[in-house]
Amino acid sequence: MTLSRRAAIGLGVGAAGAAVVGGMVGRQWSLDREPPSPAVTDAEGRVLWRNWSGIASSYPAARAAPESEAALAELLRTATAPIRPVGAGHSFTALVPTPGTLLSLDALHGLVDHDAIAHQATVWAGTRLGDLGPALVAVGQEMLSLPDINKQSLGGAIGTGTHGTGAGYQAIHGSVKAFRLATARGDILECSPERNPDIYAAARVGVGAFGVITQVTLQNRALTRVHKRAYLAPLEEVAAGWPTLLKAHDKVEFFAFPFSGLAAVIATDQTDAALKPRGPDQDTETLLSLKRLRDLLGPVPGLRRHITHALMAGMPAEESVDDSWKLLSNERPVRFNEMEFHLPREAQMAALREVMAEIERNHNDVFFPLEVRSIAPDDAWLSPFYGRESGSLAIHAYYKDDYRRLFGAVEPILRRHGGRPHWGKLHTLRARELAALYPRWQDAMEVRRTLDPEGRFLNAHLRELFIDG
Amino acid sequence: MRNDKVHRLMKAWPLMALLAGCGGPPPPSPAQIAARAATLRPADAHLAGLYERSCKACHAEPRANAPLAGDRSAWKTRLAKGRPVLLQSVLAGFNGMPAGGQCFTCTPHDYEALISFMADEDAR
Repeated sequence: MTLSRRAAIGLGVGAAGAAVVGGMVGRQWSLDREPPSPAVTDAEGRVLWRNWSGIASSYPAARAAPESEAALAELLRTATAPIRPVGAGHSFTALVPTPGTLLSLDALHGLVDHDAIAHQATVWAGTRLGDLGPALVAVGQEMLSLPDINKQSLGGAIGTGTHGTGAGYQAIHGSVKAFRLATARGDILECSPERNPDIYAAARVGVGAFGVITQVTLQNRALTRVHKRAYLAPLEEVAAGWPTLLKAHDKVEFFAFPFSGLAAVIATDQTDAALKPRGPDQDTETLLSLKRLRDLLGPVPGLRRHITHALMAGMPAEESVDDSWKLLSNERPVRFNEMEFHLPREAQMAALREVMAEIERNHNDVFFPLEVRSIAPDDAWLSPFYGRESGSLAIHAYYKDDYRRLFGAVEPILRRHGGRPHWGKLHTLRARELAALYPRWQDAMEVRRTLDPEGRFLNAHLRELFIDG
Repeated sequence: MRNDKVHRLMKAWPLMALLAGCGGPPPPSPAQIAARAATLRPADAHLAGLYERSCKACHAEPRANAPLAGDRSAWKTRLAKGRPVLLQSVLAGFNGMPAGGQCFTCTPHDYEALISFMADEDAR
């Protein structure tokens, strides 16, 4: 979604001009209202916990941040259930809310060990991805792939199946060679294809329902320099050429802009070219300009499309060259809610076209672009990418907007195309529907019951996902 | 009459600008503010740990659009709302600021201290 400053300013000027014409002050006030917030403390003085976007919340009875694996193990035996591990709170689904114990691994962070020959590193699971980049640089390594946002903890990113993009790249958990799992009984289990292989297969993408992953051994690679190029093109041209783009680039994704007919392609390839660090953030300015156009021209989608296309078309490409870990993730200071499904790759473009048509026909409040990525298959039992090449489709709604109507209309399309939901992003599937999507579901559930027979890691949402739904 | 006033003001403008220049050092540039934010760290070890693991990800990163640590001008407008309002925004989230600043072991007292640190209040 990277666009030049001049182009963004052009959008802003266009939007401001439309503002003068529109002058819909009341509508603007309504659109910019801060959503109502729960009280910051409850009647018993417990402090509010709320996720990044603000839609999931609770008042935990206790908060804990153990400073050693032994302290964590002891805590898991004795703490008030439900015990819910939290990373950076970036999940939109209610994985974290608990009236019991909120467990942060913030104190268990940093590099534990590394293998310079095999390019592997063992890392505490509480490490935030943004901090992991420079930590790995110190030992000459980088992660194989990174998600769009890097605020998440490593444990949270792995546990929810968080991913980057690129035809040959698995999600982050695909590079997990081994991990240590603290169980409800307070045991620490080594898990890998050789040791506790069933737990390795079931709990790698385990949303913190099997135990708490404390350490992870990652397969990394030597540091690479990449050339990142962002450019606009007609959406239909990009969609039709998606298989070619995937073959042509090491990593590639695109953002499809509703009410414009355009897409921004972001392609990243290894290079030996001279350093050209990316400039100041332009994405936010562009996004807010699109919001202003939505605010003023939303009720007249034909005019909105014409003006948006005219303002965006012709924007110059933006290019940068730098270390891979510096360019793959982005700052996203405008909060939103998100739904993301992972589809069989052959169904991805048909689903995109249907979703875009639905949005442009019935949801003129949408101004965020749709994010389209590609992920290689893996063998974690609860991985949305289990056993199949996947194409993801992510739909965003501004955090001040009502996301329910949009997501309610889009989800049936994504499900009809065989989509599996991202564990951390909004969906309505429950145990019965999920079981039909995952060939090893029953095996995974058996492992979960064995590790945590009392359900000490299950909050209300997880009970619906794994037991009652 | 009105034109005369405007004329006099215009003539005085270079002098006013010169006098303004005598009022102290020029404000730091955005690049200087960002460079300083990247180096700041609370003196207290407990607070430093919280800051490094949570707040710093946005408050030392210009691309995050958050008020940078040590940027007194940016923090002045926030502090003007009053401490209780600012703390409410921190705990519940407001605009780009996620609830709790993604520091889930911070207490309200920690947040107060972190605000003081980032607003550079000790140096005022």
